[in-house]
Amino acid sequence: MLGEERRAEHEGALTEPPSSRLVSPDIRDEFGLETIDMSMGPQHPAMHGLLRLILALDGETVVRCDPVMGYLHRCHEKIAENRMYPAVIPLTDRLDYFANMHNEHGYCLAVEDLLDVEIPPRAEYIRVLMCELMRLASHIPSIGFLMLELGAFTPILYAFRERERIQSIFEAVTGARMMFHYIRIGGVKADLPPDIPQKIWEYIESLEAHFQRDFVDLIQGNEIFISRTRNVGKMTQEQAVEMGVTGPALRCTGVDFDIRLDYPYSIYPELQFEVVTDTAGDVEASYRVRIAECLQSISLIKQCLEKMPEGEVMGDTGRRIRPDEGEGFGRVESPRGEYAVHVVSDGSDTPYRVHYRDPSFCNMQLLQEIVPGHYLPDIMPIMGLVDPVSGGWDK
Amino acid sequence: MQTFLNLLEVEPIRLLISFGAVLFLVLNLAAVLTMAERKVSGYIHLRYGPNRVGPRGLLQPAADVFKLFSKENVSPGRSDLWVFLGAPIAMFIPAALVWVVVPFAPDAVVADLNVAILFFVAITSIGALGVVMAGYGSRSAFSLLGALRGAAQMISYEVPLILSLLGVVMLTGSLSLVDVVQAQGDTIWTWYFLPQLPMFITFYIAGLAEVKRVPFDLPEGESEIVGGFMVEYSGMTWALIQAAEFASMAVISAVTVTLFVGGWQPPLPFLDLGPFNWVWFGIKTALIMFTFQWIRWSVPRLRMDQLMDLGWKVLVPVTLIWLFVTAGAMLVF
Repeated sequence: MLGEERRAEHEGALTEPPSSRLVSPDIRDEFGLETIDMSMGPQHPAMHGLLRLILALDGETVVRCDPVMGYLHRCHEKIAENRMYPAVIPLTDRLDYFANMHNEHGYCLAVEDLLDVEIPPRAEYIRVLMCELMRLASHIPSIGFLMLELGAFTPILYAFRERERIQSIFEAVTGARMMFHYIRIGGVKADLPPDIPQKIWEYIESLEAHFQRDFVDLIQGNEIFISRTRNVGKMTQEQAVEMGVTGPALRCTGVDFDIRLDYPYSIYPELQFEVVTDTAGDVEASYRVRIAECLQSISLIKQCLEKMPEGEVMGDTGRRIRPDEGEGFGRVESPRGEYAVHVVSDGSDTPYRVHYRDPSFCNMQLLQEIVPGHYLPDIMPIMGLVDPVSGGWDK
Repeated sequence: MQTFLNLLEVEPIRLLISFGAVLFLVLNLAAVLTMAERKVSGYIHLRYGPNRVGPRGLLQPAADVFKLFSKENVSPGRSDLWVFLGAPIAMFIPAALVWVVVPFAPDAVVADLNVAILFFVAITSIGALGVVMAGYGSRSAFSLLGALRGAAQMISYEVPLILSLLGVVMLTGSLSLVDVVQAQGDTIWTWYFLPQLPMFITFYIAGLAEVKRVPFDLPEGESEIVGGFMVEYSGMTWALIQAAEFASMAVISAVTVTLFVGGWQPPLPFLDLGPFNWVWFGIKTALIMFTFQWIRWSVPRLRMDQLMDLGWKVLVPVTLIWLFVTAGAMLVF
């Protein structure tokens, strides 16, 4: 293949860790070397949402990278304390706005943990079906974002074409394209419209037919893509585990941690799928993991549609939801990692305290750790590896 | 009419009038190219592109220019105003000036200099000055980084660009672009892009880098340094930078056509259009510009160190080797 030799040479140059590009502080003091301070964001066109990075640059090399959050803080945890239990669900929609279904699911699991309500099997299947569609609608654009950050504008439009189609399905099912309010405590809001399973099936078939062409063949073998992503943002398993990273960013280092299998919830134990891992732990590996997870999601959606039982979609929760005093916990595997909700009840009809553990927030710690030593243009692909969503980290 | 034609015989007046015509052409070309760029990107992205203003959106450039003229010209508070305002001009003038030596047809050239290739090389490298001025004058970290990248990139890609020209110069034995075109003959297999294929590819790549197009658009790098040297510009100054970019893209395409793809020469002798041979020049230039835009929307961007690697470790050796090959072949045959 053209350029294979050069790639090997390039890899040889990069086997030394990027931190070796940093000038040691002694030399810096001795020669009076200065760095440029640069504030990247919060209004940066390519930054993921409202994130500000305070960078110290030595030429093109990043010496220090401090993420500053809080530009999208909306006090969702505090507002939740003053709302009745079902009325918190629309708030969770607004957290990680690329994984709304997972947010709702996590919250409902936590409250159901307090309530001991029985959820009808059809509702469980619909929940998983919707969550896996949501995962597709999040992973495919995040591949597009990665390419956009590398300077290729076209893949993002192909990705958003897929997301639009999935959103149309959501619109038909829930009545909304983004803020669904569909998964409720005890089940789901309404049954699927009669023609929708057929439509989802058709869409998934068509996606399968051109997924390889649009998102793998166009991207994976591209010389520039490989040279920009291989060995960029490289981290070890230990680093990733220590920093509490979850999701594709963790799995691309080789740790097969997936809430769906390790802490099974809903009907995932009944479905056939595997956890995708990669060993490289760089941006390219995270891209490969996302691609493989999309294929897993496609298979999960098909299984859900095939096995879906008939019956009710809402369990009996009583007219007012007023759990006993205690604590409830729910965790789901959102597209970005482990999304967990902790609800504390004081016996009234509003929660005493709600806390969200959002993967965007926890994965963000990676930046401070792995960015120094990389070049300035490498920050963007590393953001694509972490793939944070500002609604998620700011709550 | 007759007096006008007689005036065209008088040397300084002919030069001024023809340069005016070329300048008019360049400015309009820049506007048309913005439109083409958006249409090409639209079709690559599976969307329509601009289609509201005028028939099939053809009046979009006019609307854009009108909007840009009516915008306020904002400059950053502590910018170096003269440098800041001078930069777009310093970028546009070289881009427009190179057109002076480009032969459109056998007699349609503003000035048939006998050092035209040298002139082209000298003038295009002045473009880097405008980039540095813009970056320095804006007083912004993003602009400064963009300007430093731009200066490094344009100066290092100047080397393979010049080296790849030398093969053609050796084959022709002349530095005049008109001679180069005439030496290539009117059949497609006598054009220089075949015997000079490595040089042609190198010139094309170095030309892409010279006009700062993807995958070499690091000075702009809109996903990392937002717009690089042009991030602080707005209104007409920004429009002038854009015009300069598109004009230099067009001129690189035109020079590529002139040097390697036979200029105004028809691909086969029976396709000779006589006085309308400039049509061939136009078609070839448009094709090369289309490939520029095609690449623009298809590939990601390189990183600075990789860009330098490509320039110094690949392109320069390739051109040097092919120079020896050309020289050897000329000795033998």
